Amino acid sequence: MFLQRLNPSLKALTILLFVVLLALIFDPITPSLFLIWTVSITFLFGKVAWKKYVLYFIPFMIFAFGMLWTTVIFADAPANKNDILLIFGMEYPRESILTALALSLRVLNVAALSLLFIFTTNIAHFILSMMQQLRLPPKIAYAVLAGYRFLPMMRDEIKIIHDAHRVRGVNQAKTIKEKWNNYKRYSIPLLASAIRKAERTAMAMESKGFTGDKDRTFYRQFTIRKTDWFFPLVMLIGFTTAVIVSFEMGFLKIFS
Amino acid sequence: MKPFVEVNGLCLRFETSQSNILSNISFKLNPGESVLLLGPSGSGKSTLTSCLNGLFPRELDGEMEGDIFIDGKRTTDYRPGELSRQVGVVFQDPETQFCMLTVEDEVAFGLENIGEEFEEMSAKIDAALSLVHMQEYKESAIASLSGGQKQKLALACILALEPSLLILDEPTANLDPIATKDLIETIKNLQGKIPFGLIIIEHKLEGWTDLAERCLLLNRQGEIFYDGSLRHAIRRNRLQLMEQGIWLPKTAQYLLNSQPDLEELPLTVEEFSKFASTLVNVKPQPRKRTAAYTADTIVETHDVTWSTKRRDIISNVSLMFGDGEFIAIVGANGSGKTSLSRILAGIQKPSSGSVMVKGKALKDWKESLLRQEIGYVFQNPEHQFITNTVFEEVAFSLQLKNENNMEEKVNLILEICELLELKHEHPFSLSQGQKRRLSVATMIVDDQSFLLLDEPTFGQDAHSNAELMHLLQQRHQSGSTIVMITHDMEIVDQYATRVIVMNNGAPVADCPPEKLWDMTPEKLKEWQLELPVSVQIQKICEEEAYYVSTTS
Repeated sequence: MFLQRLNPSLKALTILLFVVLLALIFDPITPSLFLIWTVSITFLFGKVAWKKYVLYFIPFMIFAFGMLWTTVIFADAPANKNDILLIFGMEYPRESILTALALSLRVLNVAALSLLFIFTTNIAHFILSMMQQLRLPPKIAYAVLAGYRFLPMMRDEIKIIHDAHRVRGVNQAKTIKEKWNNYKRYSIPLLASAIRKAERTAMAMESKGFTGDKDRTFYRQFTIRKTDWFFPLVMLIGFTTAVIVSFEMGFLKIFS
Repeated sequence: MKPFVEVNGLCLRFETSQSNILSNISFKLNPGESVLLLGPSGSGKSTLTSCLNGLFPRELDGEMEGDIFIDGKRTTDYRPGELSRQVGVVFQDPETQFCMLTVEDEVAFGLENIGEEFEEMSAKIDAALSLVHMQEYKESAIASLSGGQKQKLALACILALEPSLLILDEPTANLDPIATKDLIETIKNLQGKIPFGLIIIEHKLEGWTDLAERCLLLNRQGEIFYDGSLRHAIRRNRLQLMEQGIWLPKTAQYLLNSQPDLEELPLTVEEFSKFASTLVNVKPQPRKRTAAYTADTIVETHDVTWSTKRRDIISNVSLMFGDGEFIAIVGANGSGKTSLSRILAGIQKPSSGSVMVKGKALKDWKESLLRQEIGYVFQNPEHQFITNTVFEEVAFSLQLKNENNMEEKVNLILEICELLELKHEHPFSLSQGQKRRLSVATMIVDDQSFLLLDEPTFGQDAHSNAELMHLLQQRHQSGSTIVMITHDMEIVDQYATRVIVMNNGAPVADCPPEKLWDMTPEKLKEWQLELPVSVQIQKICEEEAYYVSTTS
């Protein structure tokens, strides 16, 4: 469970760094090797439920495939017209295929990195850590935390309002336009209660002495320990290995 | 002694209104003194709270005059946040007082704000939680707590800051009677353990009268019209209290109805039982009930069950609802009262079993026709409002049908509900009691014969409560069937012709209220019910009479 115990801010920064690095790579080999690396790390050190992981990964797969398809179809005229790959009995310019693969693999890589973060991080801890390591103003941090509590409340509220309007004889929406109109009608009571709730929460927070001042102590202390640097290091090893292998195979293509 | 709180000539006006919400408020409070702050809805009680904890004038859109001194220092001279160590507030709504996800984090939040050292924090959190007996929930998620537990947590958060003055702003308004009793008990226990002054703002006085003898009474204009002992106020200013819609303690209210010139007025049933020997001749009073007339069934359920993934909410309920009955559904929180009412109204589909309305299965009814038969008033009336004026709100369902004499009909309903003068107002701008009456109005305009209400008397002052019950009784008299969920046993006793007790998703008793009051105390305790004060008093009198007759 080494990923769960990492400092959330450092983890987020590491992820961000590699997303940027990946954006500089334009060949398919580096991202595919790095993808394997990231997914392995997630399962080896994160104890993530694979069913859930696959379920979350599916939308990205679809998106990546769509990207692959469109890039191939709408590719620029290739520089080398005779260099052709044969896939399922169809001929494609080799260059377009490689670019398309690189792009869609990059999408999957970003997805894998994000999922690694999401599945191994407690959001509340992430925000608390951002306050302590990244100097996020408490005003914003606690507003986000309070809002996080509000989401399930809002969901219940929409359900109740829906029922309440139904009792009033508001027609059950069948078309999309009717549904849209219904939601417009819900918005007033929903907003009214959300604003009132937010105001009450703000009052309660202030009466507990909250001022938004940066000068505060923390019950949950987040620090960056030496072992936390292990994660960026491991990821960097993976990335460099991928780049070197790709270079040796003669595929490496870097944005310049 | 130097007073801890001193308020001099406080006047306050919001930017949006013409009149003062608080005018010329002056009072003093000694360290450790307890006081009840009473007044009708909208009399500025909560605004005064915000003034005392320093939120106003800092966050006020409006004007404020006068001085408030806390511990000899002007509230405006305290730095923001500093006053929270002196004055702590527990608010009314248990859902919106927290900003963290777990219990310990929430208690820690206050300590972090005042810059408590990390090393001290854990011990302080434990201490605060143990004061309200919540240690075992330290690591629980706040969302998993019950309303009563949330209020105790809110109290713990404040106690952790060790304030010298504790303000309770209607802390029990959203709690059921058992949780209310528990919270009051918790606060009583605290008074012996740690020193603090107490300002209690409440609508219903049951249980609080032992905690504070002195009371401040506010009127609708936001002026203090009385400052002194509560007993004295009830004796001397009774009419004024009633005029302002301030609840008297139920025991006092009940005794005053039969003996208006009683001098020594007991405030609680316990006090009464000490007095009882001198007061034996308290005559039972006639109930306000209107009779149920026919025995035709309007709604019936057969083996209705509704379960979520985790558990059965409603199991095998078979009930008949007769035409013209006034039925109360009672029971502990989570016993399935609301779920049952939603199934009856056709809002929630049961997992199995059937509901028949006028002999026809619920699922065979056309939605629009069903809504002309069954009205349902939600707990929060705001959820049901659709249009921009009170008039349109009531007219809405008639407009859907293109009714001819709509205007006339709407005006009539508005008059019955005492909302006629407000017909051009926006529904959201009404007072709590008016909103409630408007939501009832929208549900009776189509002559719905079956009216379901989910806790309609929650958190209202005495005046709006009386108006609402009067309105419901009128409907009942004109032939409607009323089914209401309530925690208020007084209402059950006074108005219901039949009471259904829910326990763990099934009805365990179904009888006229008198029969329920005669059941064994063990059973009532198991169902978390309390006898109404009037019945308790009558029982004491009967015992006393029996004692007298056997000894003499």
